[in-house]
Amino acid sequence: MMSFEEIEHTADRAFRVTGHDMVALLENAARAMQALDGDGAKTTAERVETREIAVEGVDGESLLVNWLNEILYLNQAHHLVCEQFHIDELKDHRLLARVETRECDRTYTRIKAVTFHNLKIRETSEGLEAEIVVDV
Amino acid sequence: MRVPARLYADEDLLDAALLDNSIVQLVNTATLPGVIQYAIAMPDIHQGYGFPIGGVVATRLPEGVISPGGVGYDINCGVRLLALLVSAKEVRPYLEDIASRLYANCPSGVGAHGQLHLSNTKMDQVLHEGSCWMSGQGYTSCDDLDRTEEFGRIPGADAAFVSDRARERGRNQLGTLGAGNHFIEVDRVAEVYDGATAVRLGIYEDNVAVQIHCGSRGLGHQICEDYVGRFQKTARDYGIELPDRELVCVPFDSNDGQEYFRAMACAANFAFANRQLLAHLIRGSFGEVLAGKIKDFELHQVYDIAHNMAKVEEHELNGRSVRVCVHRKGATRAFGPGSSVLPDDLRDLGQPVLIPGSMGTASHVLIGTRAAMQQTFGSTCHGAGRVMSRARARKMVSGTALREQLRSRGILICAGSMSGLAEEAPAAYKDVSRVVEVVHKLGIGRKIARLEPLAVIKG
Repeated sequence: MMSFEEIEHTADRAFRVTGHDMVALLENAARAMQALDGDGAKTTAERVETREIAVEGVDGESLLVNWLNEILYLNQAHHLVCEQFHIDELKDHRLLARVETRECDRTYTRIKAVTFHNLKIRETSEGLEAEIVVDV
Repeated sequence: MRVPARLYADEDLLDAALLDNSIVQLVNTATLPGVIQYAIAMPDIHQGYGFPIGGVVATRLPEGVISPGGVGYDINCGVRLLALLVSAKEVRPYLEDIASRLYANCPSGVGAHGQLHLSNTKMDQVLHEGSCWMSGQGYTSCDDLDRTEEFGRIPGADAAFVSDRARERGRNQLGTLGAGNHFIEVDRVAEVYDGATAVRLGIYEDNVAVQIHCGSRGLGHQICEDYVGRFQKTARDYGIELPDRELVCVPFDSNDGQEYFRAMACAANFAFANRQLLAHLIRGSFGEVLAGKIKDFELHQVYDIAHNMAKVEEHELNGRSVRVCVHRKGATRAFGPGSSVLPDDLRDLGQPVLIPGSMGTASHVLIGTRAAMQQTFGSTCHGAGRVMSRARARKMVSGTALREQLRSRGILICAGSMSGLAEEAPAAYKDVSRVVEVVHKLGIGRKIARLEPLAVIKG
């Protein structure tokens, strides 16, 4: 289940995301960012291509930032809309994922980058939670 | 905190600053290793990430740090002002056509592509030479380089420290506006406060002027991302502990610091080149509409300034000259009269400073002052400063209604995204005139002229 909410940020945009474990947190964060940016994420392309992505970080927070930035990169550099996120492997702050993508004729995202601002993955009674600020 | 924090504001602007986390962010910047005098915030301060927007921090070299997060993702986001010797009254009948041509000729949106596709060789040339490369391609007019901060080329750029991914993201983006708060705006010079200085800058009351607000596009975003990511580990190796990971930094004179600085300079040069090409496209757009209808409609450059940058500068502190790395995040260089880095014809005057307002409100032209050199490392404010979140602005404002409302006031709006337009509603910003009044009264910028919008092309 996806679980996120947008939170107030004066200049940029921010959201709080939860997951019952790290894999769920990463997948939900990707969905959350797509939803936040969703008004532009339109494509009529029927062909779905599955891409394999490998991302690593020095800790959980940097893995989270690098993962989300990778999704932005696919859109901004390759004009791909990412629709489904499946993390197949997660070990030592390194993940292997499959992402279903469709081509679009332009960049839809208005997010420039994902930041580390006050980023901390916290344990809660239901799993993990993080607040993520993105630069727009 | 290693030094105190200092905020320039009046009572209302201070109240606005207390509404979000700006002040906490300001205090955090006062913990950067090597920071000197005080961490400074301008009256347009608002919450950013890492640094507050409107923040100025100088670190003493060689031991002080450089912080990529302190510069931000849009490296050398800045403003360029072009002015015409033609009145708004003469241009108004053609305004709708001009706005359409600007919208068509100057691509907008985060990943928008322009007309130039840069090979690796040409990309290196742009990254090293900035606006000077554009000059070789015939994209500049006579005074453009002299009227650009650092003459349109930051020294020290080395493309060897720019990643393939950054090049890829920037390859097609020269001459594009981007998104967020970026814009091209056609203005009328509504009021001149200092006629003698305004004439020196080519600014006359009731004439038309054009502002460009944008930066280094995907290339700059990627360079910041590359180094903020890499320094998450590197900073620990230097034993640097910070209250916010986005402030991550390394010693300026270390190999790591130098690599970032040289890559940042590349992004800064890319941004100068980007605004240069946009200026060329704007001149072409005016030509398409006005040729044969109005005489002498050339657009001469008043100035081009950066407001997200880290720069090596010499400043006087307690009677001694010190070499510092000045981080300006949402703050503008505002060098006063006598500064040796200004072009000959501006040296006695000081550096022009361009302060865009929010959409539909005034913008201001200021001049740098000696007081700014003494108090703020030659810096002043950069704009109105947000006061409302984007989420709340979208809930409170309809982009379509806002466009019609501005049209009824004689302001044309061209925008690709209505929700993006709503986020930039004037109600989401502080009163820019109030911000400018504070810096004027405190002497860290002197008012020269006020501009009012006629047409806005939104990124």
